[in-house]
Amino acid sequence: MGLVTDHLPGALLPLPGGGALLTAIDQVVNWSRANSLWPLTFGTSCCAIEVMMATGAARHDLARFGAEVARPSPRQADLLIIAGTIVKKMAPRLRTLWEQMAEPRYVIATGSCAISGGPFLYHSYTTIRGADEVIPVDVYVPGCPPRPEALLYGLLTLQKMIREGSTLARPGQVRRPVLAALPDGMTLDDVRAEIAALVQETATVDRKAAAAVGAAFAAQDRV
Amino acid sequence: MAADLLPLAGLALSPDALVAAVQLLCPAAQARPDCDRPAVKVTVGDWPELAGRLRAHADLLFDLLETHTAIDWPESGRIELVYLLTSLRRGHHLTVFVDIPRDDPVAPSVCAVWPVAQWQEREVYDLFGVRYADHPDLRRLFLDDDWQGFPLRKDYADAFMLDRPS
Ligand code: SF4
Repeated sequence: MGLVTDHLPGALLPLPGGGALLTAIDQVVNWSRANSLWPLTFGTSCCAIEVMMATGAARHDLARFGAEVARPSPRQADLLIIAGTIVKKMAPRLRTLWEQMAEPRYVIATGSCAISGGPFLYHSYTTIRGADEVIPVDVYVPGCPPRPEALLYGLLTLQKMIREGSTLARPGQVRRPVLAALPDGMTLDDVRAEIAALVQETATVDRKAAAAVGAAFAAQDRV
Repeated sequence: MAADLLPLAGLALSPDALVAAVQLLCPAAQARPDCDRPAVKVTVGDWPELAGRLRAHADLLFDLLETHTAIDWPESGRIELVYLLTSLRRGHHLTVFVDIPRDDPVAPSVCAVWPVAQWQEREVYDLFGVRYADHPDLRRLFLDDDWQGFPLRKDYADAFMLDRPS
């Protein structure tokens, strides 16, 4: 028993009455679910292009993580990627699409708009303040727009959540992995200092160097 | 391609010549030198006739209404209609401004001249509440049919809107 409890704790399913069932079905099911996500692409504004399409295209290549079969039909999809602003008129349609998806279904909200209304939070007559006002969201990917890498990270987070997710013993329960913890030996002040240095670096423009680069391009054009 | 659709390359009028040509068609048109494109301001009475001539005149040939929008000026009690015109054949651009009163915003429709205006006027009606006489189908375009009010007016407010906490 030591081998199983030490190395495959998830394969052990305690039964009422003190018995235990050795099962790997949960892991197999969750593993395959996590690795064959079929996204329904719900792109309503800039995030759709900047994040969703860029992530699916060749450079970032969502296919590496088994989630490239983008479906325009909710019946064939199990991952709803919300990319963009949701307005009052669109919200009921979003709800309908989500309801049409078969269980188990997952939702990633990318971008400030889908998280909170983002830049349109104040003085907007129609922007819904976050997709979670309409449907439950599993993973939030912040940014305006987020980098494609951020969506990939969000997808990996979702996969982790699915693998640790609902089992025969805990149907319908998911555990959200906490990924916000800082690595060992790093403090918040280190992060702040690093960001400040980066901002300082990118905020300084060497005009002479930039002009030289421009001239080199122009020279290439003339050839 | 039919001969009358071929571009007339190199025949764009200079901004000054363009404004002068428009003033020839409509003497009351005022030049608007504060704009970055050639621009004129005309009265609402002159506008329908001028629109047709801008499209038909052989030197102007404004065959495309690129955008139609509006600006709300509550202080001076007017709504300023903005028409961005382009001539694909001649390659020049013109902006036309038309003032209408804010408390009774009725404007002539230019659908007969540029059919694309049907959509654009519906949008301006939707967001600014400008009513276009002789528009064939003036319904809301983006907002729900039962929406109350016109949200791009500067004094618009509803219960859903959040104010920025100070
Ligand atoms: S979060 Fe930013 S980039 Fe994304 S849809 Fe909203 S405004 Fe566009």
